[in-house]
Amino acid sequence: MSDSTGARQPRAQEVLRLGNRAFPPGQPLVMGIVNRTPDSFFRPAVTWDEAEAMERVHRVIADGADIVDVGGIPAAPGAEVDVAEEIRRTAGFISAIRARYPQIVISADTWRHETGRAVCEAGADLLNDSWGGYDPRLAEVAAEFGAGLVCAHAGRQQPRTRPFRVAYADVMADVLDQVQRLAERALAAGVQRDRIVIDAAHDFGKNTWHSLEVTRRLAEMTQTGFPVLVSVSNKDFVGETLGLPPEQRLPGTLAATAICAWHGARIFRVHQVAESRQVIDMVSAIRGDRPPARAVRGLA
Amino acid sequence: MLTAAALCPAPPLLARELTGADPVVPELRQACLDAATELVRSAPDVVAVVGTADQTRAFGARGTLDLAAYAPALGRGGRDGAAPPRSADPLPLPLGLGCRLLDQAGYVGQFVLQAVSEQASAAECAALGASLADAASRVALLVMADGSARRSLKAPGYLDERSFAFDTQVTDAIRDGDMAALLALDAGLARELMATGRPGWQVLAGALAGQRAAGLIRYRDDPFGVAYLVATISPAHEPTTTSGRERG
Repeated sequence: MSDSTGARQPRAQEVLRLGNRAFPPGQPLVMGIVNRTPDSFFRPAVTWDEAEAMERVHRVIADGADIVDVGGIPAAPGAEVDVAEEIRRTAGFISAIRARYPQIVISADTWRHETGRAVCEAGADLLNDSWGGYDPRLAEVAAEFGAGLVCAHAGRQQPRTRPFRVAYADVMADVLDQVQRLAERALAAGVQRDRIVIDAAHDFGKNTWHSLEVTRRLAEMTQTGFPVLVSVSNKDFVGETLGLPPEQRLPGTLAATAICAWHGARIFRVHQVAESRQVIDMVSAIRGDRPPARAVRGLA
Repeated sequence: MLTAAALCPAPPLLARELTGADPVVPELRQACLDAATELVRSAPDVVAVVGTADQTRAFGARGTLDLAAYAPALGRGGRDGAAPPRSADPLPLPLGLGCRLLDQAGYVGQFVLQAVSEQASAAECAALGASLADAASRVALLVMADGSARRSLKAPGYLDERSFAFDTQVTDAIRDGDMAALLALDAGLARELMATGRPGWQVLAGALAGQRAAGLIRYRDDPFGVAYLVATISPAHEPTTTSGRERG
């Protein structure tokens, strides 16, 4: 938060609570993406079928995901998905995950409070709103259910719109201002402080230069004390930076993931869980947050 | 006079926190703790801990084991955490590990912490051992000493076939209480085999001079190509009270 002089004092990271789980600082979490959509940008429609989607849930958990993120609407513009259809795609599926995995943290990717209510009733622990609090009642739903809330920077974008000639005097300053304002609003709505997560929302309301800048300066977000979620997986800023299509963006994604981990991000929303887990664990050990799995070299 | 002696190896990985999530050598640590516990049970007035270091000198009992030299991340709160204060006079690793074993064994009495130079001759080591044994009426000796580090192709010093006969000679001497055999070890060969424990064994021999002794081998193995030997050595007047097991 800004104090009366406008200066920001770095705050230490604290325990993050999701569902009935408590995660200390220094334990980064992998959030595996499971899209219940026919038209997402990365491997479209592979989990449109519910059985295929549940197979993917099994796989991401086996690969080391701590959180499963279920979304029913792609970020990009396209065919309208109304509230009823979004709920139809996600709520029943979340119930099925909860029945199968009582302890896994379940996140729902939505900006709408009606959907938020339905998925919380189905067992979701975290409402992942990438669209910057477009629907202010979503925070009220999170508060009502004791759920977590992601407070993201989407610039001034409406949901499912692409950035058009966006410009910022200082993109990170804008990010910090918006996410902390949203966090304050969530607190005022009754969301528990230790369940609030902030997210720069790479590519949302940002061009590639902006997303590179927020990656470079991510430490300014972690210094707010709020846990930081990053969602960089296979995104266009990686593709534009390297000149590669979505299916060839894994190395670039992992590089960005490593930088975010180094800066202290706590949640990593990813498509490729196993690879991301290795990168995050490796950076965590370099930071000194995690011991090696087995160290004997030079110690015998 | 010596009430009992114990022999343990002193690899860094004896410190549980250095091997990461995997305990790696739990049996070795348990055998060392058993040996230290047996030592404490002999009701000594003082425990002398002996280990090889750069030079022969005593250390203050307030010295600390400085594991940060082996794992700088230990004891810090992560990347942004401050480094822990470094001890002005950190103990050589064998002495620090020995102190830790005695702490774990519940020993709260007096210590003598004695480093012995890797260059010390057999006669010097024996004299040092005799003086330690005379330090009090009841002295227990904890010798932290390692055998050859050249026992396999992946060993720290690669393979030297002479290691096997050398380490067997040491083990047999400990088991049989044959102190003369320990004093007769070839210091040059020990150096070539990276058997850093040679001075410690010879201190033990000096401390036991004139006493009949029997050794109980608790652990004997070389999981990383370094010979680790854990033993309890009982002077004839102090019979061994527990049984151990032998590996390798």
